[in-house]
Amino acid sequence: MLTTDKVTVKFGGLTAVNQVSVHVEAHRITGLIGPNGAGKTTFFNCISGVYRPNSGSVIFEGNHIEGKKPYQVNRAGISRTYQIINLFKKMNVLENVLVGMHPRLKSGYLSDMFRTPSQRREEKAAYERAYEWLKFVDLQDHALDPAGSLSYGKQRLLEIARSLASTPKLILLDEPAAGMNSKEKEELDELLKRILELGVTVLMVEHDMKLVMGICHYLNVLSEGKLLAKGTPSEIQNNPDVIQAYLGGE
Amino acid sequence: MQKSLANNSLGKKLIAPIAILLALGMPLYVRGAEYPLMLACIIQLYVVAVSGLDILFGYCGQISLGHAAFYAIGAYGSAILHNNLGLPILFTMFVAATLAALVGAVLAIPASKLVFHFLSLATVAFGEIVYQFIVHSPGGITKDFNGIFSARLSIFGFEFSTYRLWYYFGLACVIVFLTAKYFLVHSKTGRAFTAIRENSHAANGMGINVRKYKVMAFATSAFYTAFAGAMYIHLVGYVHPDTFLRKQSVLFLTMLLFGGTGSLTGPILGVISVELLIESLRVLQDYQGFVYGILLLIVIVALPGGLFGGFKNVWNLLAGRLGKRRGGAGAC
Amino acid sequence: MFLRLLISGLVLGGIYSLIALGYSLIYKASGLMSFVQGDVMTLGAYLGLTFYRILGLPFVVSLILTVLCAFAFGMLLEKGVIRVLLNKNVLPIYVVLATIAISYIIQNGVQLGWGSITQYFPSVFSKSSVKVLSVSVQPEALLCVGASLVCMVLLHFFMTRTRFGTAMRAAAMDPTAAYSCGINVSMSTGITWGLSAGLAAIAGMLIGPMYGVYALLGSMIGSKGFSGAVIGGYGNMYGAMVGGILLGLAEVFVTGYISSTYKNLIAYILLITFLFLKPTGLFNERAIQDD
Repeated sequence: MLTTDKVTVKFGGLTAVNQVSVHVEAHRITGLIGPNGAGKTTFFNCISGVYRPNSGSVIFEGNHIEGKKPYQVNRAGISRTYQIINLFKKMNVLENVLVGMHPRLKSGYLSDMFRTPSQRREEKAAYERAYEWLKFVDLQDHALDPAGSLSYGKQRLLEIARSLASTPKLILLDEPAAGMNSKEKEELDELLKRILELGVTVLMVEHDMKLVMGICHYLNVLSEGKLLAKGTPSEIQNNPDVIQAYLGGE
Repeated sequence: MQKSLANNSLGKKLIAPIAILLALGMPLYVRGAEYPLMLACIIQLYVVAVSGLDILFGYCGQISLGHAAFYAIGAYGSAILHNNLGLPILFTMFVAATLAALVGAVLAIPASKLVFHFLSLATVAFGEIVYQFIVHSPGGITKDFNGIFSARLSIFGFEFSTYRLWYYFGLACVIVFLTAKYFLVHSKTGRAFTAIRENSHAANGMGINVRKYKVMAFATSAFYTAFAGAMYIHLVGYVHPDTFLRKQSVLFLTMLLFGGTGSLTGPILGVISVELLIESLRVLQDYQGFVYGILLLIVIVALPGGLFGGFKNVWNLLAGRLGKRRGGAGAC
Repeated sequence: MFLRLLISGLVLGGIYSLIALGYSLIYKASGLMSFVQGDVMTLGAYLGLTFYRILGLPFVVSLILTVLCAFAFGMLLEKGVIRVLLNKNVLPIYVVLATIAISYIIQNGVQLGWGSITQYFPSVFSKSSVKVLSVSVQPEALLCVGASLVCMVLLHFFMTRTRFGTAMRAAAMDPTAAYSCGINVSMSTGITWGLSAGLAAIAGMLIGPMYGVYALLGSMIGSKGFSGAVIGGYGNMYGAMVGGILLGLAEVFVTGYISSTYKNLIAYILLITFLFLKPTGLFNERAIQDD
């Protein structure tokens, strides 16, 4: 579904991402792990359009998407969450999800301003759909609360709901479990399985090894900007280079 | 739960603003109250102008310190089209406002990549440029420093020759513009605006073409303020270029901040309170400007939420005690 | 003709530089835009007038006193208004509005204090004109150019060679790091505002003898001064110097050779052009972030 081919990102003299070639299978959960500073979020940013790689390409369903703007990448079917929570804090929970639904809504400026019957229908359906998404992550009780008032773990869930609202084919999760307690992580594990059931492919950056090893079908290990290893969780666990990178680097 | 989510309580939301405006119309029923009535009309058109600024700044988060330029395009545009081409007034008002919207859109395309402070400078520059073109117009079309005259409002031959009559026109305009604002703000487009204000980076990531929406916000805002400018000239019959100096742009912004951004009633409260303040300071004559500046400073420093920001906090506190606290993009 | 324009351009440019310097210094130190610079210039002109004409003090003494007053004003502004607002964590727009409110106070206040007719600022030199390369020039104009240059040079040395100046630069670059090095960041920011005000006041005293002193003297120049700062790269001290001079030259030459009707337009057109096409300015100051 998604292939990156020798993606390289340089910031001045520093090469943050060095010729990383990764392949993401459809309908699987692929993990991207590595020590801190390995370039994982920078790599994510290349896929989602925040950065343009200095060289290399990102191909999604046969199309080149490297260098496209984030909203274009989103419309192509890739959605994401962020390492630092990027919710619309003053909007309520439901509205956050509705914003996530933006690319799927068809009404335009004029039909919005004059509230045409078709717009009204679409809005009603959108609200109902958004509520369903909240139920999917069990946040429906907070629908009208300001997003900023949620607990940290719930905010992360909201980010996921928001990114699912555009019915993406691929979702990039940037450290979804950060700041979660063990119960929340169990629920996240279960949620990821349900996301897969929806037919959405997942590419996930994560530090929690228990979660990663348990849920991912395939792993890519990044270290100091380079792709160090790739394989199934059991292969990676026994890979001496990976062990070295984690123990040596930190 | 689902039914009340798709917030169709427009009727409810409009009650407060309409009530305030009707209260404003009290002078209608008092004989000989010409001046307060004129003031009420001015307030109405300012409400339209400031509501426009609210769409841009309150909802979309884009600062404009040059909105007087749109006000000018509306006033001069409508006047010139009517005077020189004889076109009917309501039509010229719309055409002028549309022209302003186009100008706003064109300005917004490059301006959309500027961040706060630099956007404010760009809008200041824009405002000054438009002013210079007014006072040194090609062919003297705006009569430069003399100011321009135009006919009082008349629609299909019906002349709004008194302030009393014009008041109803003003009321109709306010209702139409506020309704449109309400629809826009509680829609996909409105949510996109608010998302851009809250976090434009994330908005981009959620599939929103940030630049396109900023352009839309600018254009809409320009339309509103320009229409208000056209309302002005066909109310008073004359306008002097000094009306379009930077302090007019600052006045719009001050009114918006005083009343509270991101709501239907905010601009109304802000316009009324600042207008009344200015009127009451007239007594001071030479000291008027000085005291105005000082009061402005004191309010900003002491009550940074604006007058109504302070009141709003108290209101929210009470509402929180009474019912479940609700968040939302367009609290009223 | 060319020489005359060149000198006028340098005079105007010098003034713009002083104003633009203020803007860039403040932006570097506080990350804010101040809309009072022009009006501090007006205030400086009025104060200078008071010391020089009304109290009859020698010009240099008047200048020093005026600068000291302006410096105090700038510091007071920073401590009493700006810092208070920043501590309250208000939206930046309120700070901008506060500076605008202060500019209204000054504009109206000077009229109350000194009357609303244009005041006469007596010439500084006894000769009414001087010959420079066969062109007659007001000696005050030369004073203007000279004084501006001296200010810029002094500022450069202050910032780069003195301990205090270096501390100020550190505080502007990274307040937290500077603080942990023992630098009094808050004092440093106050001094920056004071310095900017001082520069504006000098500009006011220099321009007073040439144009007379009136309430809106500085307001237009203050507005156009933004252009100088942006041209050079907003926040960049040297950029402001260069930008200001270029602006002055551009304005004078365009007025002289093309048309004087749109004199005031030039600065704003340059401003908006740079903002749209090269927001980092000539010196490539990475102050502006994109979406």
